[in-house]
Amino acid sequence: MTWTDEELVARSISGDADSFNELIVRWERPIYALAYRQIGREEDARDVCQETFLRAYRALGGFRGQAKFSSWLYRIALNLCRDWMRRERRAPVVQAPEDVDLMDLAAAREPSESIEDLVARNDLSRTVERAMARLPEEQRTAIILKEYHGLTFQEIADLVGCPLSTVKTRLYQGLTVLRRELAKGGGSKPAMRT
Amino acid sequence: MADVVCGYSRNRDEVLVAYLFDDIDSTERASFGAHLTACERCRAELAGLRGVRAQLGKWAPPEPAFPVTDYRSPAASPPAWWRDIPAWAQVAAALLFLGVAAGIANLDVRYNTEGLTVRTGWSKPASAAPSKVAAPSGVPAASGAAQDFGPASSAGSAPWRADLAALEQQLRSEFRAAELSSAKQAAAHSAANTSGMSDAEMLRRVHAMIDENARQQQNELALRVAKVFQDVNAQRSADMVRISDYLYGMQNSTGAEVYKNRKLLYDWIRTSQTK
Repeated sequence: MTWTDEELVARSISGDADSFNELIVRWERPIYALAYRQIGREEDARDVCQETFLRAYRALGGFRGQAKFSSWLYRIALNLCRDWMRRERRAPVVQAPEDVDLMDLAAAREPSESIEDLVARNDLSRTVERAMARLPEEQRTAIILKEYHGLTFQEIADLVGCPLSTVKTRLYQGLTVLRRELAKGGGSKPAMRT
Repeated sequence: MADVVCGYSRNRDEVLVAYLFDDIDSTERASFGAHLTACERCRAELAGLRGVRAQLGKWAPPEPAFPVTDYRSPAASPPAWWRDIPAWAQVAAALLFLGVAAGIANLDVRYNTEGLTVRTGWSKPASAAPSKVAAPSGVPAASGAAQDFGPASSAGSAPWRADLAALEQQLRSEFRAAELSSAKQAAAHSAANTSGMSDAEMLRRVHAMIDENARQQQNELALRVAKVFQDVNAQRSADMVRISDYLYGMQNSTGAEVYKNRKLLYDWIRTSQTK
């Protein structure tokens, strides 16, 4: 039987540790991906992910189910990412290119994809990452939540605490900047704007 | 393209992005769809933003070369302080505890014709008294001489052994005196309630009470020993889990190293091919 997130939360509150582990299994990858795309460092993203679940577990009793559990988790993770960015304001957000592992990509490549295509795809991924790193934080957050996590505009508005129209405007502006940057070949400077 | 005038009336950018992500109500979707057929600028911009979305889809975070979270960490209770003590030290402490417990319980091991006997407590049967100590009157001698494996059995082999034997005898006589005193008190108390009972009967009852007390202490000691073994086993299981986790982490880090070496090799091959 598959439990919903909210049912697993209720069982966790009543003392069933396995239910919380199930929630971790279900949500650790999305939270890790969110943290990585926000801060751009693998190990720090992992730390943020762990801290997110730790804080969620500690505050589980206060979760009343007004929002979805996933939205609640996303909010915790975003707050932690924001704290991280405040602390590491001067640190580069994009990892050095040599940290991108081609062997990982090779494992996922299509049988018909040549090695040149694979390298080009990897370069494109890096270009997108750099361009995203140059966006203002609120635009980057809106794009990440919409594009990679499939949240609705309303869910994003609730999550970041701004009007619905603001979310749409941020998305439009961010995508427009990205379009221009990607047309130029992406930003070459991995600086972060917050 | 930018100089083409768009005639869409309200919130054009917001509607465009809502249309792009298909997060739009049906009325507005139909309205903007109709607008798109006539507005080249919006069509071009929509196509451009769809291209951006396609490129965004190429950006995947790297797979972490380690477990993202430790599943047990949030739910598990914090480890007890004694879990940080090495297992060998815990075993040593357990053995020390057993020794002290045995000493406190006055553990007495005897082997005679009736087999192996383990006794605890300060009560001693009258037969255990050395021959030098005069048996108090009224105390029946126990049948079957028990062989005492205590220090007194080898007295005389060294000077300190004689002293130790004398001390033991003194202690035994004092304990017996104390035992008899308490027995007399108990008997006197019992006599107040059971008039007409013979001295032998009262003494038998007192001995029964003392034996019961000894049995209780034996049970308590057995329970403590069982608890210690249970704790040792639990710690052993926890150590096994920690060792397993450690080996798993080692395996992961080794895998990451292999990946790095393969990548270096791949880069080297690619570089030499381009040259």
